Amino acid sequence: MSTDWVGPVATYMLGGLRTTIALCLITVVASTLVGIVLGTLSVIRSLPLELALRAYIEFWRGLPTVVSLFFIFFALPTIHVYVNAFIAAAVGLTLWASANIAEIVRGAIKSIPRDQFTAGAALGLGWLSVMRLIILPQALRRMIPPLVGMLANLIQTTTLAAVIGVLDVLEAGKQSVERLTLQTGNPHAIEVYAAILVVFFAICFPISQYANSLEKRLVV
Amino acid sequence: MSGYTFDPAIIWQNLPNLLGGLLLTLEVSLIGIIGALVIGIAGGAVRTFELPVVSGIVRVYVEFIRNTPFLVQLFFLYFALPELGLRLSGFTVAWVTLMIHGGSYNVENFRAGFTSTAAGFREGARALGLSPWQAFRYVTFPIGIRTAMPSVTNTCISVLKGSSLMVAIGFPELTDRAVSIVGQTFRVYEMFFTIAIIYLVVVWALSIVMHWAERRMAIPGFSI
Repeated sequence: MSTDWVGPVATYMLGGLRTTIALCLITVVASTLVGIVLGTLSVIRSLPLELALRAYIEFWRGLPTVVSLFFIFFALPTIHVYVNAFIAAAVGLTLWASANIAEIVRGAIKSIPRDQFTAGAALGLGWLSVMRLIILPQALRRMIPPLVGMLANLIQTTTLAAVIGVLDVLEAGKQSVERLTLQTGNPHAIEVYAAILVVFFAICFPISQYANSLEKRLVV
Repeated sequence: MSGYTFDPAIIWQNLPNLLGGLLLTLEVSLIGIIGALVIGIAGGAVRTFELPVVSGIVRVYVEFIRNTPFLVQLFFLYFALPELGLRLSGFTVAWVTLMIHGGSYNVENFRAGFTSTAAGFREGARALGLSPWQAFRYVTFPIGIRTAMPSVTNTCISVLKGSSLMVAIGFPELTDRAVSIVGQTFRVYEMFFTIAIIYLVVVWALSIVMHWAERRMAIPGFSI
């Protein structure tokens, strides 16, 4: 059994893995920022703002993520924004993930009893001070475990970029299998896809275990 | 959006095709959801009883599936299994992947339901002289599945939405059909507007059914 195929395929897939990691980093940073801002805005009691936030959250969470990715990918050119699949995937994933993160942040802030706002106000603190000194420090602790869990979810979901043609680790694997089939007649699909599964497991398992332990520590 | 006019007639022209896709979406999702419930209840019970060996196997299954991307699992079943001589149709791969995926989440949902809330009741049942199996059958199980309902509902919805990923293996469900229509006609907004509405309606319908089931199952005067 020849193993000559392993070297070139591994090199090609490592290139794909680099794209996957870049996509993860961009989406994690962008969606965390957008999600935290939107989630925090939800404490402001203003009907139009609340409706707009709900619409954003429900829409991007309710749609299957791959549908959002396709939509962004196909729709951007109609408004004369010509970007490659990588940017389209980053935008689509950020919309989906930021909606989830906004919901987590909103839930954590709402879980702090409203009385504490009143108590803070009674002590003479302004709205911003109440948020900064009383509400957010508590809410932050409650939102960390689901946020870490979301991180593992997001890393896995970046593979959807392959569906719109981004050359990530999955697409690189798929192309390698197709090339091997043509060149040698042996696709080696088992090894290639098993390798991708192992890589993701090695990254996501520790993260989700950490999220679980954080959650348990919080319950007490 | 210069140069693009939204043409509702395009929607009507393609609606029969899209609804045919919706039918396949619903079929694979329904089989997947039912399979995931069976796996979830059985696996959840095994994990609750901490049966030697089997419980470990279930844990490995759950952790492995939950920590690897759904799409890669799908590709493995569709592209790699034929190498082992197991060639499955797109339809079979679709519901099997959804079932395995939903099942792994349901095992945790039901395990949480069986272990957390029902703990005091289970001890009570044992104190009354019920065998461990009887305590499970008459106490832990009926209360546990009720406790697990909200998270089980979420898993059902994610199975339904996950069916859209079958576009990656060319299985002609709703998303796949919309994407190929867009590929041929460039009617981006008409098609995605239509399937977005369809998905949102189906997801809402599913959550309404699940909440109805939850209320039907609720024990009067006993909120969990």
